[in-house]
Amino acid sequence: MAAEDAEATAVPSAVIDLATSNDPRAVARELRENPVVQIPDLFSLVTRRHDVEDALRQSSVFSWSAVGMDLGNIRPLIPLQIDPPKHVKYRRILDPLFAPKRVARLEADVVKLVGELVSKFAARGSCDFHEEFAVPLPCTVFLRLLGLPYSDMGTFMWIKDDIIRPPGDDAEQARRRRKAGDAVYEYFGKVLEERRAAPTDDLLSDIINSEVEGERLTDEEVMDISYLFLIAGLDTVTDSLDCFFALLAQEPEHRRLIVEDESLIPSAVEELLRWESPVPAVPRRTLEDIEIAGCPIPAGEAVMLLIGCANTDHDALPGLENLDLTRNPNPHLAFGGGVHRCLGSHLARLELRVALREFHRLIPNYELAPGTELEYTPGLRSLHTLPLVFDPVS
Amino acid sequence: MRVRLDADACQGHGRCYTLAPAVFDTDDLGHCVVLTEEVAPEHEAAARLGVDNCPEKALVVIED
Repeated sequence: MAAEDAEATAVPSAVIDLATSNDPRAVARELRENPVVQIPDLFSLVTRRHDVEDALRQSSVFSWSAVGMDLGNIRPLIPLQIDPPKHVKYRRILDPLFAPKRVARLEADVVKLVGELVSKFAARGSCDFHEEFAVPLPCTVFLRLLGLPYSDMGTFMWIKDDIIRPPGDDAEQARRRRKAGDAVYEYFGKVLEERRAAPTDDLLSDIINSEVEGERLTDEEVMDISYLFLIAGLDTVTDSLDCFFALLAQEPEHRRLIVEDESLIPSAVEELLRWESPVPAVPRRTLEDIEIAGCPIPAGEAVMLLIGCANTDHDALPGLENLDLTRNPNPHLAFGGGVHRCLGSHLARLELRVALREFHRLIPNYELAPGTELEYTPGLRSLHTLPLVFDPVS
Repeated sequence: MRVRLDADACQGHGRCYTLAPAVFDTDDLGHCVVLTEEVAPEHEAAARLGVDNCPEKALVVIED
């Protein structure tokens, strides 16, 4: 019992609830009663829109690199764990590769992929949406983007899961992360050797060949970028898909809106991202003494910026207490903000838009399989399983 | 009506040029470029949406 209690306090339970609750909006509402929630020896939680926004923008005060989060890596991940000004150098290389115009080229490929995934279960009249759609879609897009073979999917899956959600106690988790980290360096080390010997037409070769001020990236830099892609790019789209489809399965009146009018899908994606906030919190560490909403925070303090709270803060923006798939404007913070704005946001939007459109064209009506109780995961909000039933489609 | 961009605040969320392509465009990085600071009446509504959707508040509307 004592060990369990100790584990329960390792991450503030409010932050866990924000990801795992069936109604994270209610958890957020309670948290926002105080602008800063201080949890002694752990974190200060920042709960309100205005303060979260300010902190995201002040990257020189609220540092990512100083967070010291263990993701199994031995060097800082690029660009996330690098602070400005060096951060700018990397984003200049990477931003063009993930800009909306560039990722738009992938649309036809994603459409085809969604069709292939749905065709595997359409005639059955049931699926585990998580296992059969939400996981393979972003993983396959990632592999194709980097020009890596589909057969490496299994390797990526265990690596990603052991870094993001390792089972066991603290020591076991650290051991698994380390082992997964070693596997990442070994894998990309080999791939980089191959690419240098024989360049190919894919994102990895683009990154290898890119230059900033006449200088190419080192092998280590390319590896540290690839490492981050692997853990940032796969899980978050899976989480979003799980959240979106679980909600639409239970709330047919919202689903009907986008089935009947596909032109609403772009605004629906933004609103579902806001409402569900699949990444409910992002960490920072203060580099100087600062005040948040009159509350003094010393330098060196670990801070959690609660995106999920900020996104439903209806004191800052009226009307946010309701889900409205037609909402526009919708300046949510689901992709963060400031210099660390999610690099893959435009790719994620593309995948989510295409998934909503193509899935519903084929399967417009579905519900949770009888007896299903949804269990959302802590940290990043996803589901272990999402069993759906629908009329079989031949 | 005019629109003004704080280029230092823009982080490339891309909401403005997606919603109002007649008023905003993108550079290679995916950051905002204002095409016409002076907004034509027929594009005012779209321009406002582009401005109001910016999570960084990098854009403002200036009423003449």
